[in-house]
Amino acid sequence: MIVTALVLGPIVIGLALYAVPRERIVLVRIIAAAVAALTFALAAYDPAAPDASLRWLSRPFVASFHLGFNPISFWIVLLLALVTFGAALALNGPRARNIAVQLLVLQGAMNGLFLAKDLLLFALFWDLMLLPVFLVLLDGGPHAHAAWKYLIYNLAGGLALLLATAAFGMVSGSTDVLYDPNAHIAIGIVWGTWIFAGFALAFLIKTPVFPFHTWMPDTYADLPPAAVAIVSAVQSKAGLYGFIAIALPFLAEQMAQARTLMFVLGTIALVYGALAALAERDAKRVVAYSSLSHLGLILLAVFTGSQLAIQGAVVYIVAHGLFSAALFLVLGAVEEREETRDLLRLGGLGSRNPKLAGALVIGALAALGLPGLAGFAGEILILTGLFSAGVVWPALVGLIAVILASAYMLRLFQGVMNGPKVPDLPERRDMTWLEGFAIAPLVIAFLVLGVDPGPIASLTIGAHTAAPVNVSAR
Amino acid sequence: MLGSFPVAADYAALLPWFVVAIVPLLILFVDLFFKDASAARRGVAVGLAIVGLVVAGALAAGQYPHEYAAFGGAFVQGGFSIVFSEIVIVATIATLLLSIGVGRSDQVAGTTALLLWSASGAMLMAGAANLMIVFLGLELLSLALYCLCAISVRSTARESALKYLILSSMASGFLLYGSALLFGATGSVAFAVLATAPVTPVLAVGAGLFLVGLAFKLSLVPFHAWTPDVYEGAPLPVTAFMSVVTKAGTLAVLARFAYAALPSDHAAAILAPLWVLAALSMLIGNLGALAQTDMKRLLAYSGIAQVGYIVTAFAGTTALGLRYAILYLAGYTAMNLGAFAVVALMARDGDAVVGLPRFAGLAYRRPWLAAAMTFFLIGLAGLPPTIGFTGKILILAATVGAGYAWLAGILILGTAISAYVYFKIVRVMFARADLAHVRDERSSNPLPWIAVTVCVVVTFALGLVPYTPSNVLPLVK
Repeated sequence: MIVTALVLGPIVIGLALYAVPRERIVLVRIIAAAVAALTFALAAYDPAAPDASLRWLSRPFVASFHLGFNPISFWIVLLLALVTFGAALALNGPRARNIAVQLLVLQGAMNGLFLAKDLLLFALFWDLMLLPVFLVLLDGGPHAHAAWKYLIYNLAGGLALLLATAAFGMVSGSTDVLYDPNAHIAIGIVWGTWIFAGFALAFLIKTPVFPFHTWMPDTYADLPPAAVAIVSAVQSKAGLYGFIAIALPFLAEQMAQARTLMFVLGTIALVYGALAALAERDAKRVVAYSSLSHLGLILLAVFTGSQLAIQGAVVYIVAHGLFSAALFLVLGAVEEREETRDLLRLGGLGSRNPKLAGALVIGALAALGLPGLAGFAGEILILTGLFSAGVVWPALVGLIAVILASAYMLRLFQGVMNGPKVPDLPERRDMTWLEGFAIAPLVIAFLVLGVDPGPIASLTIGAHTAAPVNVSAR
Repeated sequence: MLGSFPVAADYAALLPWFVVAIVPLLILFVDLFFKDASAARRGVAVGLAIVGLVVAGALAAGQYPHEYAAFGGAFVQGGFSIVFSEIVIVATIATLLLSIGVGRSDQVAGTTALLLWSASGAMLMAGAANLMIVFLGLELLSLALYCLCAISVRSTARESALKYLILSSMASGFLLYGSALLFGATGSVAFAVLATAPVTPVLAVGAGLFLVGLAFKLSLVPFHAWTPDVYEGAPLPVTAFMSVVTKAGTLAVLARFAYAALPSDHAAAILAPLWVLAALSMLIGNLGALAQTDMKRLLAYSGIAQVGYIVTAFAGTTALGLRYAILYLAGYTAMNLGAFAVVALMARDGDAVVGLPRFAGLAYRRPWLAAAMTFFLIGLAGLPPTIGFTGKILILAATVGAGYAWLAGILILGTAISAYVYFKIVRVMFARADLAHVRDERSSNPLPWIAVTVCVVVTFALGLVPYTPSNVLPLVK
């Protein structure tokens, strides 16, 4: 019941928001934030909530509307609720209502994606979560071509996923197998390779990983702050989650074969993202490219196959969600005040807007991996995992990227907040209570997680060992 | 050939068909009593037609558990033909809702009667298990449509009708020549006999020509070139009707021929070119749609590709494939007719040329209409939560399971191209635009809203509960 409500609740209430007049922004904000808070409470209330399952297909393979918590998805659902809460409060402008609708639909669809225990249902939500982002880009974005790029890239991935899912279903006889300890599925080498290729394409495009990343900076730059917070915090994790939840238990051999390739792609993403973030003038794109770099690190961890690295990956998935959402929300607040994101135009805001500067600095510090904040916990686990698994070269590259992260994050902060006052920038007031209230839960969460990542890391161990198939035996 | 002398049970099998074929006479007769150009005149004609179709649909539904092999097996009324007949009936009712305001009021009885006769032809094709009945049904379907295409006052209407007449006659020629060769090779026109006959070159050529005829009617690539022009010129309701009913009837014949009329050990070889046609249709249909700005032409190309998906499901002639083809056809009917109904609601008389620019900012002018159109388009593009998604995954699974993974790959490729086509419209509807120069026409006839609502519900519900009829086989007696 709870899991169904987590999926359908936001979608239904979101669509019902169209009934609210466009001008009542405060009401829209309150409703959307309340929905997010409620989903958080619902999920946190009972992590052991029973599964909900309803048979969908019995031919040609078994498929069900099967939703349920698993240890990873529990944390991602909580993360998503926090980020949606912040995003809802950050809504502003004449399009606030339309964006709020899409954000809630997106939240429901992504809850469905992470709670799905059926592969076909996973594929359904995978495709479904494209639409809200596409519509926000069309409605709110200045350039329709970003919407186009986003859709075409991600739909191509979605179709590859769909074909792979159909083949998986035909080979295994059932797609209702995710996190099912009784599922014993043997996928032959030939089919396995093709199926893995389909999944991998979808996941790599979604994450995104070099060379499928070109949609990402445009999308992130054009999305309104509220939407980009959610997309970068949670939607970009869908592919990595897919590797952990689907490929790792069922296609471990293919994952092992693809390891070298993925290491290469991951390290390219790491370095390329970091260098691009160093060179970029647009503040939002700096954070977008930093995401590319960080997610490359997670990709390395996922493909290492070591327990420790994967735990680190999950911690970092949550941590990155928290700090990237906080960064995008703060930058959104900056852009709203100064009407530019150009680091060369901005500057000197810190002295007038100390609270805003404080929020940005703590987000930036989390992103560059300051010990005591969540980013560090994830990075250190991943790097230790990589080294201990003998994956030395990628780990060294990862280390370099972590150092570069300090450079571009501090450059970002300096560009926006430090330096002399720029004379032609308008004087605006400091961070409002509402903005603070939107960002505070995220900051608290990554402080707590930075001090004690134990709950996530330890739960993940359980999740992973309980994963359906003993891979090496196959 | 036709076997023993017909008995009462044979006519009982044809009862739903009789109803659809006879109601037009009643409509024409009643219309004689109207002299004026009143709305009642239109209402009576269309109302009678809808009542007749509902009765026929109910009669056919009542026959569903039974199997009739009427006229010595020439006409087989069973699960298969009944499902196709119901699709035809529902599509015709939807067309009538669209057509009530179109054309002069003294023509409405005539067009309604022709529509019904055309539908009865498709119903006949759905049950045809004999080359002669196939031809009979096909000609009944087509002859009525030639007139319907020409009836509009638009300048392109005559071009459309003439093109349709010539090319469709050519298709009939292929079909007839193929039938003659098949008869020559086997000495019979019954599908059941063809299936057991020894394979000779003449039979193979006959089957090939027969399939070419069907491919023409289905507008599979490379026999598709007539479709966009004909669709563009015909009145909108007729286009909607053609895009669904002609295809449904022809698909029924194609399925029965592929599954039941070919010797099982040679069927794969004879049908192999068909899968190539399906693959070409999925690719070229969607590529062709990319460049279109007129909605009718765009939907014509999209229909070419959609039929390609359905024919793909037949690959390997598996029972599951047949069931999913029927499911997808039902879904396509709902999504496509829904899209046409939306277009009809955007033209004052229900039949204007509706180009893509007319959709600019629709989401802000008429949000409900835009929402419905978006829903149909994401369905046609194969995205959830619609039958487009569920149907496509089922077709993919059946195709992969039958060993035609390459065809499944092409289906995915075609779908990827089609995303451009359908989302181009979504983009125009949702992107912020200067609305001052957009013509905001509204149909005076609100009835298409009924079609839109029903189609939305069907598109959604079939996606969640993809029910497929289980008693579609055997196809011949």
